Amino acid sequence: MRRLRALEPLAWTGPAVVLIAVVVLWPVVEMIRSSFLRISRWGVVQGSNGTANYEKLFDEKDFADIMLRSVVWVVAVVALTVLISLALAQLFNQHFPGRRYARWALIAPWAASVLMTAIIFKWMLDPEVGVINQIRLKLGLIDALGGASADQLGDASTAMPWLVFVAVFVSVPFTTYALLAGLATIPSDVYEAAKMDGASRLRTYWSITLPLLRPALTVAALINVMNVFNSFPIIWAMTHGQPGYSTATSTIFMFILKNRDIGESAAMSVVNFAMVLVLTAIFLKVSRWNKEVA
Amino acid sequence: MNIKLVGGAAAGLAAMLVLSSCGSGDSGSGDQNASGGGQVTLKMVAADYGDGPGKPNSGETFWKGVVDEFQAANPNIKVEVQVINWNDIDKQVATMVQNGQVPDILQTGDYSGFVKDGLLHKADEILSPNVSADMLEKFAEFGKVDGTAYGIPFVSSARALFYNKELFTKAGVAEPPKTWDELKAAAEKLKKAGVSQPFGLPLGQEEAQGESFLWMLGNGGGYKDASGKWAINSPQNVETFTYIKGLVDAGLTTPNPGTKDRKTVWEDFGAGKVGMVNGGPMSIPIFDAAGLKDKYGVAPIPGKAGPLDTTLGVMDWIMAFNKNGRAAEIKKFLDFFYTGNAAQKISDTYKLLPVTKSGIEKLSGDEKLKPFLDGLPNASFYPFQDPKWAVVNPSIKQTIGGAVKEDPAQVLGELQKTAENS
Repeated sequence: MRRLRALEPLAWTGPAVVLIAVVVLWPVVEMIRSSFLRISRWGVVQGSNGTANYEKLFDEKDFADIMLRSVVWVVAVVALTVLISLALAQLFNQHFPGRRYARWALIAPWAASVLMTAIIFKWMLDPEVGVINQIRLKLGLIDALGGASADQLGDASTAMPWLVFVAVFVSVPFTTYALLAGLATIPSDVYEAAKMDGASRLRTYWSITLPLLRPALTVAALINVMNVFNSFPIIWAMTHGQPGYSTATSTIFMFILKNRDIGESAAMSVVNFAMVLVLTAIFLKVSRWNKEVA
Repeated sequence: MNIKLVGGAAAGLAAMLVLSSCGSGDSGSGDQNASGGGQVTLKMVAADYGDGPGKPNSGETFWKGVVDEFQAANPNIKVEVQVINWNDIDKQVATMVQNGQVPDILQTGDYSGFVKDGLLHKADEILSPNVSADMLEKFAEFGKVDGTAYGIPFVSSARALFYNKELFTKAGVAEPPKTWDELKAAAEKLKKAGVSQPFGLPLGQEEAQGESFLWMLGNGGGYKDASGKWAINSPQNVETFTYIKGLVDAGLTTPNPGTKDRKTVWEDFGAGKVGMVNGGPMSIPIFDAAGLKDKYGVAPIPGKAGPLDTTLGVMDWIMAFNKNGRAAEIKKFLDFFYTGNAAQKISDTYKLLPVTKSGIEKLSGDEKLKPFLDGLPNASFYPFQDPKWAVVNPSIKQTIGGAVKEDPAQVLGELQKTAENS
């Protein structure tokens, strides 16, 4: 009887533990296991494959480029998102007429499906009829529609900035709101004290707002790092990772590999998973290091 | 407490399993009884070529028409058709096979997977000799495994060159090009007349393997050589892509072809922005709907020295499972299908092409379909019977566009390596 009572907490936590085990842990185990198997195109397991899947993956001609691009992609998107969101949050924290409507408007890119946003941008960039190109034509930036100069998604050097732009566009609303919530938690007497001491605005922002905003900032940035690293719809809808693999990140590459070799694709997933863990660890380390200095 | 709960759930689950297996057992024996009593029900599974359930061109509507006619002529045989869309049909059929509930007749994209397990009737058990003889030999040949036919060609598709007559007139090009030199000359004139994409060139992910293959055929190349070895970077193919690269560099094609999907380029053709493009019968409704009806012509695809006498053939299959032993009834139904007007109805409804000589003859009056029909008996195919094609194909889709942007020999060489090493 007593023993049963001791087990009682298990009845309450049990379902949650089971849920986590089934939807989080089991897929991870299964993913790692698959990466060491030889799997047919139809999903039939044909036995162990040792580390051959990984060897094949690391031998891919484009593998190193893709991994490097993934890191650049994450850093660029998250850095821009955070910078823009900091400014926007500051703006939306002020009182101005129509603030409520402006705040609503900011939700739009967040509320719309990411895939939809990406497709709309692809259409706006269409070399023949896209509205962005029509504007560029009117402004005299390009000579004619339909040519290579109007085809910005056709070449990695012009496509990448657009992909980053769209990723920032869809990430900014969430980040801004997270920071806005953070700003709301900073008590106003701290600012009053700073004012009394004659601190400049810049100094106030640097020494009061930013440090007090750090918890919100850390969470927002971390969620963005993981989201952006695993981001699939934007690149897939706009370029398919083409030309070649020159706009593909590791998540896109994993998806392309799935059509060729499921085992190799699983190996890519494992590498991807490890990358997210490493990026997160680095990020947390860096943000804590900041705390010590401050 | 917990254990009891689990136990109860398990008992319930077991009961459900027993019940459901009883159910299927019942229906199985019911079928057997029926066949003993003279009335036979054939179960057929077919893919949907239409726009989906409820649409006037849905597969259900089409097959109901065929079956009603057949049942009127053969009151002893009932045919139940289950139409499944292309995304799900492979999975659902696999489940049926695993559960031992195979249909009698299956119409889908591939048959070869079932042959190894001995699940299929041989084609000559379920098709009359006169119907077999009417099949296009080149197509029927691909239905054979080790010399024995199991798959029966169902419908096919082919490619030809579409050209915009209005733009050709405006640019002063009298007729569609027959050779690569003429193609280039025509494209230059179109460019001068202000056409932004003289030749529509979709080498992006959607269907780069098709467009590439058509160009390779024009120079006597292909994915494999005559002896069946992979030859993606053969000298002919490198020459072909060097030639295309020249067109791209001169701005005579779709910009950055390696990123453009067929769908987009066809839409641009429909919008009158493209002078010529390779297309199939399935692009006819798209161009017509875009308002280009009667303003475009169809011609054989130009090759290096002259127009192609072949085309890219694609086909789907019909097959019969031998589990229920109803060969005689299946034969009646298939003979009815191939000798009646069903094939013509398919091509009318879905713009797919027939696979029988008599079917081609019936359609030969259609001017827009003629270039496709002419190429059909001598069609060329992807090396889809080679298991490596499943690996090579996605690689081609992703990277072959680079062959008209970077060094053709190097890009094709990489693909050749993929084909040899995978």
